[in-house]
Amino acid sequence: MNSVLSKQSRTKRRIWILVFSVIAFVQLFPLIWLVDFSLCKSNELFTSGILVWPEEIQWKNYILAFRDGHFLHYLGNSLLINTLAVVLVVLISIMASFACTRMHWKLKNVVAVVMVMGMMIPIHATLLPNYVIYDRLKLTDTIWALLIPYVAFSLPQGYFLTSGFMASVPKELEEAALIDGCGVYRVVFTIIMPLLRPSISTVVIMTYLNNWNEFMMATTYLSSDKWKTLPFCILEFTGQYSSNYAVQFAVMALSAAPALIVYIFLNKYITKGVALGAVKG
Amino acid sequence: MKKLYSNKRVIFSLVAPGLFMFTVAILAPILLSIYYSFTNYSGIGDYWFIGTENYTTLFHDSVFWGALKNSLFLAIGFICIQHPLAIFVAVKLDKLQGKAEGIFRCIYFIPNVISVAVIAYLWKFIYNPNFGLLQKILEFFGYKGTINPLGSGTAIWAVLVVLIWHGFGWGMLIYYTGVKNIDPILYEAAAIDGASGTSTFFRVTLPLMKPVIQVNVTMAIISALKQMETVYLLTDGGPGNETQFMASYLYKQAFSSYKYGYGNAISVIFILICLLANLILQKVFQEKEA
Repeated sequence: MNSVLSKQSRTKRRIWILVFSVIAFVQLFPLIWLVDFSLCKSNELFTSGILVWPEEIQWKNYILAFRDGHFLHYLGNSLLINTLAVVLVVLISIMASFACTRMHWKLKNVVAVVMVMGMMIPIHATLLPNYVIYDRLKLTDTIWALLIPYVAFSLPQGYFLTSGFMASVPKELEEAALIDGCGVYRVVFTIIMPLLRPSISTVVIMTYLNNWNEFMMATTYLSSDKWKTLPFCILEFTGQYSSNYAVQFAVMALSAAPALIVYIFLNKYITKGVALGAVKG
Repeated sequence: MKKLYSNKRVIFSLVAPGLFMFTVAILAPILLSIYYSFTNYSGIGDYWFIGTENYTTLFHDSVFWGALKNSLFLAIGFICIQHPLAIFVAVKLDKLQGKAEGIFRCIYFIPNVISVAVIAYLWKFIYNPNFGLLQKILEFFGYKGTINPLGSGTAIWAVLVVLIWHGFGWGMLIYYTGVKNIDPILYEAAAIDGASGTSTFFRVTLPLMKPVIQVNVTMAIISALKQMETVYLLTDGGPGNETQFMASYLYKQAFSSYKYGYGNAISVIFILICLLANLILQKVFQEKEA
Protein backbone atom coordinates (compact mmCIF):
# COMPACT_ATOMS: atom_id res chain seq x y z
CA MET A 1 0.00 0.00 0.00
CA ASN A 2 2.72 2.37 1.04
CA SER A 3 4.86 1.66 -1.97
CA VAL A 4 1.90 2.11 -4.32
CA LEU A 5 1.22 5.50 -2.85
CA SER A 6 4.80 6.65 -3.08
CA LYS A 7 4.99 5.43 -6.67
CA GLN A 8 1.88 7.39 -7.49
CA SER A 9 3.22 10.51 -5.82
CA ARG A 10 6.50 10.07 -7.61
CA THR A 11 4.84 10.16 -11.02
CA LYS A 12 2.85 13.15 -9.85
CA ARG A 13 6.04 14.87 -8.84
CA ARG A 14 7.53 14.13 -12.25
CA ILE A 15 4.53 15.67 -13.96
CA TRP A 16 4.83 18.81 -11.88
CA ILE A 17 8.54 19.09 -12.58
CA LEU A 18 7.66 18.85 -16.27
CA VAL A 19 5.07 21.64 -15.93
CA PHE A 20 7.52 23.86 -14.07
CA SER A 21 10.20 23.13 -16.62
CA VAL A 22 7.91 24.31 -19.39
CA ILE A 23 7.33 27.59 -17.55
CA ALA A 24 11.06 27.94 -16.89
CA PHE A 25 11.65 27.32 -20.56
CA VAL A 26 9.22 30.09 -21.53
CA GLN A 27 10.94 32.45 -19.07
CA LEU A 28 14.42 31.64 -20.30
CA PHE A 29 14.03 30.93 -23.98
CA PRO A 30 14.06 34.55 -25.20
CA LEU A 31 17.37 34.98 -23.37
CA ILE A 32 18.80 31.81 -24.88
CA TRP A 33 17.74 33.06 -28.30
CA LEU A 34 19.46 36.36 -27.55
CA VAL A 35 22.75 34.71 -26.59
CA ASP A 36 22.55 32.33 -29.55
CA PHE A 37 22.30 35.08 -32.14
CA SER A 38 24.78 37.29 -30.37
CA LEU A 39 27.36 34.68 -31.36
CA CYS A 40 26.28 34.52 -35.01
CA LYS A 41 26.83 36.63 -38.05
CA SER A 42 23.99 39.03 -38.74
CA ASN A 43 22.86 37.26 -41.91
CA GLU A 44 22.47 33.98 -40.03
CA LEU A 45 19.55 35.62 -38.28
CA PHE A 46 17.55 35.29 -41.45
CA THR A 47 17.92 31.53 -41.75
CA SER A 48 14.82 29.53 -41.02
CA GLY A 49 15.66 27.62 -37.85
CA ILE A 50 14.53 28.79 -34.43
CA LEU A 51 18.01 28.44 -33.02
CA VAL A 52 21.12 28.44 -35.16
CA TRP A 53 24.42 26.72 -34.66
CA PRO A 54 26.81 29.49 -35.74
CA GLU A 55 29.16 28.52 -38.55
CA GLU A 56 31.93 30.15 -36.65
CA ILE A 57 31.42 31.62 -33.19
CA GLN A 58 31.62 35.37 -33.55
CA TRP A 59 33.42 36.45 -30.40
CA LYS A 60 34.22 39.65 -32.16
CA ASN A 61 30.60 40.77 -31.69
CA TYR A 62 31.32 40.93 -28.00
CA ILE A 63 34.64 42.67 -28.54
CA LEU A 64 32.86 45.32 -30.63
CA ALA A 65 30.10 45.64 -28.04
CA PHE A 66 32.60 45.92 -25.24
CA ARG A 67 34.78 48.49 -26.96
CA ASP A 68 32.38 50.58 -29.07
CA GLY A 69 29.58 50.25 -26.53
CA HIS A 70 31.87 51.85 -23.92
CA PHE A 71 30.79 49.06 -21.62
CA LEU A 72 33.27 49.77 -18.85
CA HIS A 73 32.51 53.48 -18.81
CA TYR A 74 28.77 52.91 -18.40
CA LEU A 75 29.27 50.09 -15.92
CA GLY A 76 31.55 52.29 -13.83
CA ASN A 77 28.98 55.08 -13.80
CA SER A 78 26.21 52.67 -12.84
CA LEU A 79 28.28 51.23 -10.01
CA LEU A 80 29.29 54.62 -8.67
CA ILE A 81 25.88 56.28 -8.87
CA ASN A 82 23.97 53.30 -7.51
CA THR A 83 26.39 52.71 -4.67
CA LEU A 84 26.26 56.35 -3.64
CA ALA A 85 22.47 56.28 -3.84
CA VAL A 86 22.29 53.14 -1.71
CA VAL A 87 24.61 54.53 0.96
CA LEU A 88 22.67 57.79 1.14
CA VAL A 89 19.31 56.03 1.26
CA VAL A 90 20.45 53.79 4.11
CA LEU A 91 21.95 56.61 6.16
CA ILE A 92 19.13 59.08 5.66
CA SER A 93 16.46 56.43 6.33
CA ILE A 94 18.06 55.31 9.55
CA MET A 95 18.53 58.85 10.83
CA ALA A 96 14.94 59.82 10.07
CA SER A 97 13.56 56.54 11.42
CA PHE A 98 15.41 57.03 14.67
CA ALA A 99 14.16 60.56 15.11
CA CYS A 100 10.59 59.59 14.28
CA THR A 101 10.32 56.37 16.27
CA ARG A 102 12.56 56.96 19.29
CA MET A 103 12.82 60.65 20.01
CA HIS A 104 10.25 62.93 21.57
CA TRP A 105 8.87 65.84 19.57
CA LYS A 106 5.55 67.13 18.46
CA LEU A 107 5.68 66.86 14.68
CA LYS A 108 7.13 63.39 14.45
CA ASN A 109 3.98 61.77 13.11
CA VAL A 110 3.63 64.42 10.43
CA VAL A 111 7.22 63.94 9.33
CA ALA A 112 6.75 60.17 9.31
CA VAL A 113 3.83 60.56 6.88
CA VAL A 114 5.82 62.94 4.69
CA MET A 115 8.70 60.47 4.54
CA VAL A 116 6.56 57.69 3.06
CA MET A 117 4.42 59.92 0.90
CA GLY A 118 6.81 59.67 -2.04
CA MET A 119 5.76 56.05 -2.43
CA MET A 120 2.44 57.14 -3.87
CA ILE A 121 3.85 59.70 -6.29
CA PRO A 122 4.59 58.32 -9.76
CA ILE A 123 8.24 59.05 -10.60
CA HIS A 124 7.51 59.91 -14.19
CA ALA A 125 5.16 62.72 -13.22
CA THR A 126 8.20 64.62 -11.94
CA LEU A 127 10.19 64.26 -15.16
CA LEU A 128 9.05 67.55 -16.71
CA PRO A 129 9.34 69.88 -13.72
CA ASN A 130 12.57 68.30 -12.53
CA TYR A 131 14.04 68.83 -15.96
CA VAL A 132 13.33 72.56 -15.66
CA ILE A 133 14.66 72.70 -12.11
CA TYR A 134 17.93 70.98 -13.02
CA ASP A 135 18.20 73.10 -16.12
CA ARG A 136 17.88 76.36 -14.14
CA LEU A 137 20.24 75.17 -11.42
CA LYS A 138 22.74 74.06 -14.07
CA LEU A 139 22.56 70.52 -12.74
CA THR A 140 21.66 68.79 -15.98
CA ASP A 141 24.41 66.52 -17.14
CA THR A 142 25.86 66.25 -13.65
CA ILE A 143 25.82 63.30 -11.29
CA TRP A 144 23.37 65.19 -9.04
CA ALA A 145 20.64 65.05 -11.65
CA LEU A 146 20.55 61.29 -11.15
CA LEU A 147 21.56 61.00 -7.55
CA ILE A 148 18.91 63.34 -6.15
CA PRO A 149 15.86 61.65 -7.70
CA TYR A 150 17.27 58.14 -7.20
CA VAL A 151 17.73 58.79 -3.50
CA ALA A 152 14.47 60.69 -3.08
CA PHE A 153 12.34 58.00 -4.68
CA SER A 154 14.02 55.15 -2.80
CA LEU A 155 13.82 56.89 0.57
CA PRO A 156 10.14 56.17 1.29
CA GLN A 157 10.68 52.44 1.12
CA GLY A 158 13.97 52.74 3.00
CA TYR A 159 12.27 54.70 5.74
CA PHE A 160 9.37 52.27 5.85
CA LEU A 161 11.58 49.22 6.21
CA THR A 162 14.02 50.68 8.74
CA SER A 163 11.39 52.31 10.94
CA GLY A 164 9.32 49.13 10.97
CA PHE A 165 12.31 47.14 12.09
CA MET A 166 13.48 49.74 14.58
CA ALA A 167 10.32 49.29 16.62
CA SER A 168 11.44 45.72 17.36
CA VAL A 169 14.92 46.71 18.54
CA PRO A 170 15.05 46.69 22.36
CA LYS A 171 15.67 50.05 23.97
CA GLU A 172 17.86 48.78 26.82
CA LEU A 173 21.06 48.80 24.79
CA GLU A 174 20.86 52.40 23.72
CA GLU A 175 19.71 53.44 27.19
CA ALA A 176 22.83 51.89 28.69
CA ALA A 177 24.97 53.65 26.11
CA LEU A 178 23.32 56.99 26.79
CA ILE A 179 23.89 56.62 30.51
CA ASP A 180 27.56 55.97 29.75
CA GLY A 181 27.62 59.39 28.11
CA CYS A 182 27.26 58.37 24.49
CA GLY A 183 25.78 61.03 22.20
CA VAL A 184 22.68 60.48 20.09
CA TYR A 185 24.64 60.31 16.83
CA ARG A 186 26.93 57.66 18.21
CA VAL A 187 23.94 55.67 19.44
CA VAL A 188 22.39 55.80 15.99
CA PHE A 189 25.47 54.83 14.03
CA THR A 190 27.30 52.46 16.37
CA ILE A 191 24.50 50.75 18.28
CA ILE A 192 21.30 50.92 16.26
CA MET A 193 22.78 50.53 12.80
CA PRO A 194 24.47 47.15 13.38
CA LEU A 195 21.25 45.83 14.92
CA LEU A 196 19.32 46.84 11.82
CA ARG A 197 21.45 44.73 9.52
CA PRO A 198 18.62 42.50 8.19
CA SER A 199 16.46 45.43 7.18
CA ILE A 200 19.44 47.36 5.82
CA SER A 201 20.22 44.50 3.46
CA THR A 202 16.62 44.58 2.26
CA VAL A 203 16.88 48.32 1.66
CA VAL A 204 20.15 47.86 -0.22
CA ILE A 205 18.70 45.16 -2.48
CA MET A 206 15.49 47.07 -3.22
CA THR A 207 17.33 50.32 -3.91
CA TYR A 208 19.73 48.60 -6.28
CA LEU A 209 16.93 46.81 -8.11
CA ASN A 210 14.91 50.01 -8.44
CA ASN A 211 17.70 52.17 -9.74
CA TRP A 212 20.15 49.90 -11.51
CA ASN A 213 18.05 49.61 -14.64
CA GLU A 214 16.53 53.09 -14.58
CA PHE A 215 16.99 55.05 -17.77
CA MET A 216 14.02 57.40 -18.18
CA MET A 217 15.40 60.04 -15.82
CA ALA A 218 18.89 59.52 -17.15
CA THR A 219 17.65 60.06 -20.70
CA THR A 220 15.88 63.23 -19.69
CA TYR A 221 18.40 64.87 -17.40
CA LEU A 222 21.66 63.90 -19.10
CA SER A 223 22.82 64.97 -22.51
CA SER A 224 26.46 63.94 -22.74
CA ASP A 225 27.96 60.54 -22.12
CA LYS A 226 29.76 61.56 -18.97
CA TRP A 227 27.38 60.16 -16.35
CA LYS A 228 25.18 57.90 -18.43
CA THR A 229 24.54 54.48 -16.94
CA LEU A 230 24.53 50.90 -18.19
CA PRO A 231 21.19 50.92 -20.07
CA PHE A 232 22.76 53.50 -22.41
CA CYS A 233 25.23 50.90 -23.52
CA ILE A 234 22.26 49.57 -25.52
CA LEU A 235 20.39 52.79 -26.25
CA GLU A 236 23.43 54.54 -27.73
CA PHE A 237 24.87 51.50 -29.40
CA THR A 238 21.79 50.41 -31.35
CA GLY A 239 21.81 53.74 -33.15
CA GLN A 240 25.44 53.35 -34.05
CA TYR A 241 25.16 49.77 -35.35
CA SER A 242 21.57 49.88 -36.49
CA SER A 243 21.98 47.34 -39.28
CA ASN A 244 24.30 44.94 -37.51
CA TYR A 245 21.79 42.95 -35.48
CA ALA A 246 24.17 40.35 -34.14
CA VAL A 247 26.36 43.01 -32.51
CA GLN A 248 23.25 44.59 -31.02
CA PHE A 249 22.38 41.22 -29.53
CA ALA A 250 25.87 41.02 -28.09
CA VAL A 251 25.62 44.43 -26.47
CA MET A 252 22.27 43.49 -24.94
CA ALA A 253 23.62 40.25 -23.53
CA LEU A 254 26.70 42.04 -22.27
CA SER A 255 24.85 44.79 -20.46
CA ALA A 256 22.45 42.32 -18.86
CA ALA A 257 25.36 40.24 -17.61
CA PRO A 258 26.50 42.15 -14.48
CA ALA A 259 23.10 42.11 -12.78
CA LEU A 260 22.53 38.52 -13.84
CA ILE A 261 25.86 37.33 -12.46
CA VAL A 262 25.27 39.09 -9.16
CA TYR A 263 21.78 37.58 -9.02
CA ILE A 264 23.03 34.05 -9.64
CA PHE A 265 25.50 34.34 -6.77
CA LEU A 266 23.23 36.13 -4.33
CA ASN A 267 19.83 34.83 -5.43
CA LYS A 268 18.89 33.59 -1.97
CA TYR A 269 19.46 36.99 -0.40
CA ILE A 270 17.91 38.88 -3.28
CA THR A 271 14.70 36.86 -3.42
CA LYS A 272 14.41 37.08 0.36
CA GLY A 273 15.01 40.82 0.27
CA VAL A 274 12.44 41.37 -2.46
CA ALA A 275 9.86 39.27 -0.67
CA LEU A 276 10.37 41.22 2.56
CA GLY A 277 10.58 44.58 0.83
CA ALA A 278 7.53 44.10 -1.34
CA VAL A 279 5.27 42.75 1.35
CA LYS A 280 6.18 45.43 3.84
CA GLY A 281 6.64 48.27 1.37
CA MET B 1 17.91 60.78 28.70
CA LYS B 2 14.51 62.31 28.05
CA LYS B 3 16.32 65.59 27.62
CA LEU B 4 18.79 64.12 25.19
CA TYR B 5 15.96 62.60 23.17
CA SER B 6 14.07 65.85 22.87
CA ASN B 7 17.01 67.99 21.84
CA LYS B 8 15.53 70.01 18.97
CA ARG B 9 18.82 70.58 17.22
CA VAL B 10 19.68 66.88 17.17
CA ILE B 11 16.22 65.97 15.94
CA PHE B 12 16.40 68.53 13.19
CA SER B 13 19.79 67.34 12.03
CA LEU B 14 18.49 63.77 11.82
CA VAL B 15 15.36 64.45 9.79
CA ALA B 16 16.66 67.37 7.71
CA PRO B 17 18.36 65.30 4.98
CA GLY B 18 15.22 63.22 4.41
CA LEU B 19 12.93 66.21 4.36
CA PHE B 20 15.34 68.04 2.09
CA MET B 21 15.28 65.20 -0.44
CA PHE B 22 11.51 65.07 -0.32
CA THR B 23 11.18 68.81 -0.83
CA VAL B 24 13.72 69.09 -3.61
CA ALA B 25 12.87 66.02 -5.64
CA ILE B 26 9.16 65.48 -4.98
CA LEU B 27 7.36 68.46 -3.47
CA ALA B 28 9.00 71.27 -5.46
CA PRO B 29 8.52 69.54 -8.83
CA ILE B 30 4.87 68.90 -8.08
CA LEU B 31 4.28 72.54 -7.18
CA LEU B 32 6.15 73.64 -10.27
CA SER B 33 4.11 71.23 -12.35
CA ILE B 34 0.89 72.77 -11.05
CA TYR B 35 2.24 76.22 -11.90
CA TYR B 36 3.21 75.32 -15.48
CA SER B 37 -0.04 73.43 -16.02
CA PHE B 38 -1.81 76.81 -16.10
CA THR B 39 0.49 78.19 -18.79
CA ASN B 40 1.07 77.65 -22.47
CA TYR B 41 4.84 77.22 -22.05
CA SER B 42 6.38 75.36 -24.96
CA GLY B 43 9.69 74.59 -23.30
CA ILE B 44 11.51 77.65 -24.59
CA GLY B 45 10.74 81.35 -24.88
CA ASP B 46 7.87 83.33 -23.40
CA TYR B 47 4.66 81.99 -21.98
CA TRP B 48 1.57 83.32 -20.30
CA PHE B 49 -1.18 82.09 -18.07
CA ILE B 50 -4.12 80.56 -19.85
CA GLY B 51 -6.20 79.57 -16.83
CA THR B 52 -7.62 76.08 -16.88
CA GLU B 53 -7.48 75.72 -20.64
CA ASN B 54 -4.99 72.84 -20.49
CA TYR B 55 -7.31 70.94 -18.19
CA THR B 56 -10.37 71.44 -20.38
CA THR B 57 -8.36 70.32 -23.40
CA LEU B 58 -7.19 67.31 -21.45
CA PHE B 59 -10.74 66.43 -20.52
CA HIS B 60 -11.65 66.21 -24.20
CA ASP B 61 -8.39 64.57 -25.27
CA SER B 62 -9.24 61.11 -26.54
CA VAL B 63 -5.60 60.01 -26.38
CA PHE B 64 -5.55 60.69 -22.66
CA TRP B 65 -8.68 58.62 -22.09
CA GLY B 66 -7.17 55.98 -24.34
CA ALA B 67 -4.11 55.96 -22.07
CA LEU B 68 -6.31 55.41 -19.04
CA LYS B 69 -8.11 52.64 -20.85
CA ASN B 70 -4.76 51.04 -21.68
CA SER B 71 -3.82 51.11 -17.99
CA LEU B 72 -7.10 49.47 -17.14
CA PHE B 73 -6.45 46.86 -19.82
CA LEU B 74 -3.04 46.08 -18.34
CA ALA B 75 -4.42 45.93 -14.80
CA ILE B 76 -7.12 43.48 -15.87
CA GLY B 77 -4.55 41.49 -17.83
CA PHE B 78 -2.28 41.26 -14.78
CA ILE B 79 -5.08 40.32 -12.42
CA CYS B 80 -6.81 37.82 -14.69
CA ILE B 81 -3.83 36.17 -16.38
CA GLN B 82 -0.56 36.80 -14.59
CA HIS B 83 -1.69 36.55 -10.99
CA PRO B 84 -3.84 33.40 -11.09
CA LEU B 85 -0.93 31.71 -12.85
CA ALA B 86 1.53 33.07 -10.30
CA ILE B 87 -0.58 31.93 -7.34
CA PHE B 88 -1.04 28.51 -8.85
CA VAL B 89 2.67 28.07 -9.55
CA ALA B 90 3.57 29.38 -6.08
CA VAL B 91 1.27 26.92 -4.33
CA LYS B 92 2.43 23.95 -6.37
CA LEU B 93 6.08 24.94 -6.16
CA ASP B 94 5.82 25.03 -2.38
CA LYS B 95 4.83 21.35 -2.40
CA LEU B 96 7.63 20.29 -4.70
CA GLN B 97 10.34 20.38 -2.00
CA GLY B 98 13.94 19.47 -2.59
CA LYS B 99 16.50 21.08 -4.82
CA ALA B 100 14.14 21.56 -7.77
CA GLU B 101 12.02 24.00 -5.76
CA GLY B 102 14.92 26.39 -5.28
CA ILE B 103 16.12 26.09 -8.84
CA PHE B 104 12.74 26.91 -10.37
CA ARG B 105 12.22 29.82 -7.99
CA CYS B 106 15.60 31.16 -9.00
CA ILE B 107 14.91 30.80 -12.74
CA TYR B 108 11.48 32.43 -12.66
CA PHE B 109 12.91 35.60 -11.19
CA ILE B 110 15.68 36.01 -13.77
CA PRO B 111 13.80 38.29 -16.22
CA ASN B 112 13.29 40.73 -13.33
CA VAL B 113 16.97 41.45 -12.88
CA ILE B 114 17.40 42.24 -16.55
CA SER B 115 17.11 45.87 -17.50
CA VAL B 116 13.94 47.14 -19.17
CA ALA B 117 16.15 48.45 -21.95
CA VAL B 118 17.33 44.93 -22.77
CA ILE B 119 13.84 43.48 -22.36
CA ALA B 120 12.22 46.05 -24.63
CA TYR B 121 14.80 45.74 -27.39
CA LEU B 122 14.86 41.96 -27.10
CA TRP B 123 11.09 41.74 -27.54
CA LYS B 124 11.21 44.17 -30.40
CA PHE B 125 13.43 41.61 -32.11
CA ILE B 126 11.21 38.73 -31.02
CA TYR B 127 8.22 40.46 -32.58
CA ASN B 128 10.11 41.40 -35.74
CA PRO B 129 8.11 40.12 -38.73
CA ASN B 130 11.23 39.40 -40.82
CA PHE B 131 13.44 37.39 -38.52
CA GLY B 132 11.76 37.49 -35.12
CA LEU B 133 11.57 34.51 -32.82
CA LEU B 134 7.77 34.51 -32.85
CA GLN B 135 7.63 34.48 -36.63
CA LYS B 136 10.12 31.60 -36.72
CA ILE B 137 8.20 29.59 -34.18
CA LEU B 138 5.02 30.04 -36.20
CA GLU B 139 6.86 29.04 -39.38
CA PHE B 140 8.18 25.99 -37.56
CA PHE B 141 4.58 24.94 -36.96
CA GLY B 142 3.78 25.43 -40.61
CA TYR B 143 2.39 28.97 -40.62
CA LYS B 144 2.93 30.63 -43.99
CA GLY B 145 2.03 34.30 -43.49
CA THR B 146 3.86 37.01 -41.61
CA ILE B 147 2.65 38.54 -38.39
CA ASN B 148 3.52 41.86 -36.86
CA PRO B 149 2.37 41.87 -33.25
CA LEU B 150 3.42 45.49 -32.80
CA GLY B 151 1.09 46.53 -35.59
CA SER B 152 -2.28 48.15 -35.22
CA GLY B 153 -4.84 46.26 -33.19
CA THR B 154 -2.49 43.80 -31.52
CA ALA B 155 0.17 46.15 -30.15
CA ILE B 156 -1.41 46.51 -26.72
CA TRP B 157 -1.59 42.72 -26.41
CA ALA B 158 2.04 42.50 -27.42
CA VAL B 159 2.88 44.95 -24.63
CA LEU B 160 0.82 42.95 -22.15
CA VAL B 161 2.65 39.73 -23.05
CA VAL B 162 6.04 41.36 -22.47
CA LEU B 163 4.98 42.78 -19.12
CA ILE B 164 3.46 39.50 -17.96
CA TRP B 165 6.58 37.65 -18.99
CA HIS B 166 8.82 40.21 -17.30
CA GLY B 167 6.86 40.55 -14.06
CA PHE B 168 5.77 36.96 -13.57
CA GLY B 169 8.70 36.03 -11.32
CA TRP B 170 8.17 39.02 -9.05
CA GLY B 171 4.50 38.24 -8.44
CA MET B 172 5.21 34.54 -8.08
CA LEU B 173 7.93 35.20 -5.52
CA ILE B 174 5.63 37.25 -3.33
CA TYR B 175 2.85 34.67 -3.47
CA TYR B 176 5.43 32.00 -2.78
CA THR B 177 6.51 33.85 0.37
CA GLY B 178 2.86 34.03 1.37
CA VAL B 179 2.42 30.29 0.89
CA LYS B 180 5.59 29.56 2.87
CA ASN B 181 4.19 31.52 5.79
CA ILE B 182 1.15 29.27 6.08
CA ASP B 183 1.45 26.89 9.01
CA PRO B 184 1.70 23.30 7.66
CA ILE B 185 -0.39 22.11 10.61
CA LEU B 186 -3.41 23.64 8.88
CA TYR B 187 -2.86 21.44 5.85
CA GLU B 188 -2.56 18.40 8.08
CA ALA B 189 -5.79 19.32 9.84
CA ALA B 190 -7.53 19.75 6.48
CA ALA B 191 -6.22 16.38 5.32
CA ILE B 192 -7.40 14.67 8.51
CA ASP B 193 -10.84 16.22 8.02
CA GLY B 194 -10.85 14.62 4.59
CA ALA B 195 -10.62 17.79 2.52
CA SER B 196 -9.65 17.25 -1.11
CA GLY B 197 -6.76 19.08 -2.76
CA THR B 198 -9.03 21.58 -4.48
CA SER B 199 -11.08 22.44 -1.44
CA THR B 200 -7.91 22.77 0.67
CA PHE B 201 -6.65 25.25 -1.92
CA PHE B 202 -9.84 27.32 -1.93
CA ARG B 203 -10.74 27.05 1.76
CA VAL B 204 -7.33 27.09 3.45
CA THR B 205 -4.59 28.36 1.17
CA LEU B 206 -6.35 31.21 -0.63
CA PRO B 207 -7.97 32.83 2.43
CA LEU B 208 -4.67 32.73 4.31
CA MET B 209 -2.93 34.36 1.38
CA LYS B 210 -5.29 37.31 1.39
CA PRO B 211 -2.74 39.83 2.69
CA VAL B 212 -0.22 38.91 -0.01
CA ILE B 213 -2.91 38.93 -2.67
CA GLN B 214 -3.88 42.44 -1.58
CA VAL B 215 -0.29 43.63 -1.81
CA ASN B 216 0.14 42.08 -5.22
CA VAL B 217 -3.14 43.34 -6.65
CA THR B 218 -2.37 46.85 -5.43
CA MET B 219 1.06 46.67 -7.03
CA ALA B 220 -0.41 45.36 -10.27
CA ILE B 221 -2.89 48.20 -10.56
CA ILE B 222 -0.38 50.89 -9.61
CA SER B 223 2.24 49.55 -11.99
CA ALA B 224 -0.36 49.45 -14.78
CA LEU B 225 -1.05 53.12 -14.14
CA LYS B 226 2.64 54.00 -13.97
CA GLN B 227 3.64 52.03 -17.06
CA MET B 228 6.14 53.93 -19.16
CA GLU B 229 9.60 52.52 -19.73
CA THR B 230 8.75 49.30 -21.56
CA VAL B 231 6.24 51.04 -23.78
CA TYR B 232 8.57 53.96 -24.42
CA LEU B 233 11.21 51.69 -25.92
CA LEU B 234 9.00 48.97 -27.38
CA THR B 235 6.32 50.94 -29.19
CA ASP B 236 6.80 54.58 -28.21
CA GLY B 237 3.05 54.73 -27.73
CA GLY B 238 2.36 53.63 -31.27
CA PRO B 239 1.09 52.68 -33.71
CA GLY B 240 -0.78 55.96 -33.66
CA ASN B 241 -1.47 56.35 -29.98
CA GLU B 242 -2.70 52.81 -29.44
CA THR B 243 -0.26 51.92 -26.67
CA GLN B 244 0.02 55.34 -25.10
CA PHE B 245 0.07 55.55 -21.30
CA MET B 246 -0.24 58.61 -19.11
CA ALA B 247 3.49 58.83 -18.43
CA SER B 248 4.56 58.24 -22.01
CA TYR B 249 1.94 60.67 -23.25
CA LEU B 250 2.99 63.52 -21.00
CA TYR B 251 6.56 62.94 -22.07
CA LYS B 252 5.62 63.02 -25.71
CA GLN B 253 3.58 66.18 -25.31
CA ALA B 254 6.42 68.00 -23.56
CA PHE B 255 9.46 66.84 -25.50
CA SER B 256 8.15 65.94 -28.96
CA SER B 257 5.15 68.22 -29.39
CA TYR B 258 6.65 71.08 -27.38
CA LYS B 259 3.53 71.48 -25.26
CA TYR B 260 5.34 71.66 -21.96
CA GLY B 261 2.44 73.33 -20.16
CA TYR B 262 0.03 70.71 -21.39
CA GLY B 263 2.43 67.94 -20.42
CA ASN B 264 2.45 69.32 -16.89
CA ALA B 265 -1.33 69.32 -16.76
CA ILE B 266 -1.17 65.62 -17.61
CA SER B 267 1.46 65.16 -14.85
CA VAL B 268 -0.83 66.76 -12.28
CA ILE B 269 -3.81 64.61 -13.24
CA PHE B 270 -1.53 61.58 -13.39
CA ILE B 271 -0.46 62.18 -9.77
CA LEU B 272 -4.05 62.68 -8.67
CA ILE B 273 -5.15 59.47 -10.35
CA CYS B 274 -2.35 57.50 -8.67
CA LEU B 275 -3.19 58.97 -5.26
CA LEU B 276 -6.85 58.24 -5.78
CA ALA B 277 -6.15 54.67 -6.86
CA ASN B 278 -4.03 54.15 -3.73
CA LEU B 279 -6.77 55.52 -1.50
CA ILE B 280 -9.53 53.50 -3.12
CA LEU B 281 -7.53 50.28 -2.95
CA GLN B 282 -6.74 50.89 0.70
CA LYS B 283 -10.41 51.51 1.48
CA VAL B 284 -11.58 48.48 -0.46
CA PHE B 285 -9.17 46.14 1.27
CA GLN B 286 -9.79 47.62 4.70
CA GLU B 287 -13.52 47.13 4.41
CA LYS B 288 -13.02 43.56 3.37
CA GLU B 289 -10.97 42.92 6.44
CA ALA B 290 -13.53 44.36 8.79
